[in-house]
Amino acid sequence: MISKLKNIGFLRGLVVTLKTTFRSSVTAEYPKLDKRIQVADRFMGFPALLWDGNIVEPYCTGCMVCVRNCPTQCMSAEMKDNPKYEEGISGRRKIINEFEINLGRCILCGICVDVCNFDAIEMSHEHELSKYQRNGNRANLDTLLEMGKEYQSKVNWTPKQPEKNSGKPKEKVIKPKTTGDSVTPLTLDKSLNSDSTEKDSAE
Amino acid sequence: MNFQEILKYFVYAGMIFTVLAGIAAYLTLMERKVLAWIQQRMGPKYVGFRGILQPLADGIKLVIKEDLLPSWSDRTVYWIAPIAVLVPALLMWVAIPITDGIVLDDSDLGLFYITAISVLTVMGLVMAGWGSANKWAVMGGLRAAGQLVSYEIPFIMSILAIAMLAQSLNLTEIVNQQTTFAFILKQPLAFVIFFIAGLAELGRIPFDIHHAESEVVGGPFVEYSGAHWAVFYLAEYMNTFTVAVLTTILFLGGWVWPQMPFEGSLHDFLSILLFMFKTVAVIYLIFWIRGTYPRLRIDQLMAFGWKLLVPLSFLNVVITSIVLFYGFSHFVLSGVSVFLTGVLFYMISNRSKKYDSGETVRIVSSSQVRDNQNFKEPL
Repeated sequence: MISKLKNIGFLRGLVVTLKTTFRSSVTAEYPKLDKRIQVADRFMGFPALLWDGNIVEPYCTGCMVCVRNCPTQCMSAEMKDNPKYEEGISGRRKIINEFEINLGRCILCGICVDVCNFDAIEMSHEHELSKYQRNGNRANLDTLLEMGKEYQSKVNWTPKQPEKNSGKPKEKVIKPKTTGDSVTPLTLDKSLNSDSTEKDSAE
Repeated sequence: MNFQEILKYFVYAGMIFTVLAGIAAYLTLMERKVLAWIQQRMGPKYVGFRGILQPLADGIKLVIKEDLLPSWSDRTVYWIAPIAVLVPALLMWVAIPITDGIVLDDSDLGLFYITAISVLTVMGLVMAGWGSANKWAVMGGLRAAGQLVSYEIPFIMSILAIAMLAQSLNLTEIVNQQTTFAFILKQPLAFVIFFIAGLAELGRIPFDIHHAESEVVGGPFVEYSGAHWAVFYLAEYMNTFTVAVLTTILFLGGWVWPQMPFEGSLHDFLSILLFMFKTVAVIYLIFWIRGTYPRLRIDQLMAFGWKLLVPLSFLNVVITSIVLFYGFSHFVLSGVSVFLTGVLFYMISNRSKKYDSGETVRIVSSSQVRDNQNFKEPL
């Protein structure tokens, strides 16, 4: 008898809605900071430049490979000579001077991350674009580095190729460099033929 | 009639309007909240404490909105229609008591008056449809007329059974007769018919074909906006409240406690509290049904009304009169009524079973499709 009563469709419908009434709501109140859903660690937001905390400089050397491979051409980069390399603190001869990503144009494809040889760029967790200015989404170097630092501390980021991209100056490399790196590029190439990174940046 | 008496009636009218408008406004909030709970949402919660001021915000928004007038419309009819809908909703409250003695006119024809007034709403809807000079609005108005007129019969017939049982048309008297047994125990069939027909009268969701958004895009209210639309809405929620109150008075025993130890004003207060509690429970049931069922098609609606509710309500009146005439025990009446309610439920459920054999084009639940291998896809 009771099983037959259960099969009366219109009563069963009422029971279903009664059950759902007492479930807690599934709404995430998005703009509230404490009520929003946290993104997963592997979430791919906008690209950010990473910070080398050991040497206190960005990983990025301004090699332009991400700029050239970007399908929407939303990036621009400019390199300069690294003063810390001259002082012998860093292993990076060139360092990024200016970097700009138009986040409004970025399609979050992740190609820049794939092509980077220096572990310098990563898809961060940043995903909110609302700004009050028309060009508010043009992120400059400082902004990108801030995004990168936040991301690194959040996911305990480590370089994918630690021995290559540690940024520590190599003893063999330093000696010829300090004598005259800008004079004879040929000797440089010979001295650095073990290091593929320098070739990439020289292109 | 001197000046003071006239003034008194104005004050009463003002009180009724104000209180009912407030109740109707908060019913919108309650409906939104209940639907949100059913659908696992949150509902309004930012205006005031937990959204308690949301009706105020809605009201301000509606009053500020522009009132549009279609260029082809019949202006007089168009502007009078909201009033023609609102006035019957208010007029009903002349005869409805809240508790013993708190009523404007404790008439011996109270129930008759209410059934007479409740039909007037149809005219306003048809006027709104006609005045808008809009095809959807006219269709919606005519649908409203057809639906409300056909469901008026079981509505009145179920009321008639109660009036026969109570031997009175006075609402206070009807409530006071339910001190020991509420009439829902003696007449469950009449309760079910009254409730379903009441939903149809209101145009609540299983029966809301006259302002079905997907078919007639809002029915008679298509062209209305701003304050005039708000008046329609207000009247609709006032009617919801009225039907819930009538259900409470006629079937659920109104405000009477079986044994009330208190006297005087505390007694009155507790009575009103009980009355309001029952009313809110009925309103919750209405909103719960709204959150559960899809809309009926117009032929299903008419078939359900004329083939099922009308014969059963007439049968109910006949059985009640036989029982009363021969002086049988009222337990016989409740037994027969429970049986007939079972028959009603069986007919409703059996209908849906017949539909999934694929004889006719029917809407069935997905579980029934899954269970039945021979189910043919509706054309």
